[in-house]
Amino acid sequence: MAAPSAAGLGRRLRAWLPRIMPVRWSRYDTSYLEPEVKKESYQKPVEELTEEEREQMELKTVRPIKAAPPTVSSSVFTDPMISKFTNMMMRSGNKVLARSLMSQTLETIKRKQLEKYHKAPENEKETIECNPYVIFHQALKNCQPIIGLSNITKGGKTYQVPVPLTDNRKRFLAMKWLITECRENKHRRTLMPEKLSQELLLAFNNEGPVIKKKHVLHKMAEANRAYAHFRWW
Amino acid sequence: MAAPAYPAWVTRWVSGQWRNKKRPPALRPPRTLALADKVANRRERATDATCITEMSVMMACWKQNDFKDTPCAEEIRKFYDCVAKAEKEHKNENEDTLSSRGNLPSSKVNKLLKRFPQMTRYV
Repeated sequence: MAAPSAAGLGRRLRAWLPRIMPVRWSRYDTSYLEPEVKKESYQKPVEELTEEEREQMELKTVRPIKAAPPTVSSSVFTDPMISKFTNMMMRSGNKVLARSLMSQTLETIKRKQLEKYHKAPENEKETIECNPYVIFHQALKNCQPIIGLSNITKGGKTYQVPVPLTDNRKRFLAMKWLITECRENKHRRTLMPEKLSQELLLAFNNEGPVIKKKHVLHKMAEANRAYAHFRWW
Repeated sequence: MAAPAYPAWVTRWVSGQWRNKKRPPALRPPRTLALADKVANRRERATDATCITEMSVMMACWKQNDFKDTPCAEEIRKFYDCVAKAEKEHKNENEDTLSSRGNLPSSKVNKLLKRFPQMTRYV
């Protein structure tokens, strides 16, 4: 009959569905493997591979492989930090604009540094860094906070407790501070590459408003160090 | 005659203790005298915060050097190492063994007891 089978089906369906439904889930089956994008790993001769790499290759012959997402690339010019920064600069999905702004920023940094290089006297020429990627990475590293504050409620009152941060969180905060600083606290008519290059060069030399913001955070953490025991992890 | 040996209830009756309600308690257990399949949910005492000494050393260094990172690189490195170690320990400890303090939280105890419940009938 339809009625008992419908009730049985409903019960079985409810037993099959988990109580917590994940919101973000992958459409791939669990047997799918991640794609290998780096060209170097395919150019190695078979004898040089270790045991586990050989096993991995044999597994790849029988298992399906996921499609590579558009963000990863096998080019030598890709840099995951730069991609992350571009994504954070992107607005309304306009990746083309964000990417062009990023490349213009790097070009502006190079131009400024070259100008400084050619004007500098001979003995100082080695100290000037001209590689915009190096400047970008160093500036981001200088902007990363070492310790953060988190709100912990105890006895009805909320305290700001100094807390160690994960690497991802530090990177995110550094990038976020740079972008907000450029978007909000600059003159309206300056273009983003100009503002960003200026900020990145200042951060590279440990100066500028973003470094100041990091120092302010550190000072607050130092002032609240008595509450450090409120942490439980 | 020697002291006559009366039974205990006689002496107690005569002394009037029974009338004064000094009686042994009549145990009437409202629940079955058997272990339940779960323990009460006890709020575990919060674990102590990790890496506080390294953090305070780093902050002292900051205070001396005006919050610059380059002179304090050694202390910062030690702090990062301590944090990484604590993170790894926290990842590895989630098993069915005792926690670092030597006690088992009530949720884990309940899971174990559920696997081996009390026998209610003989088969």
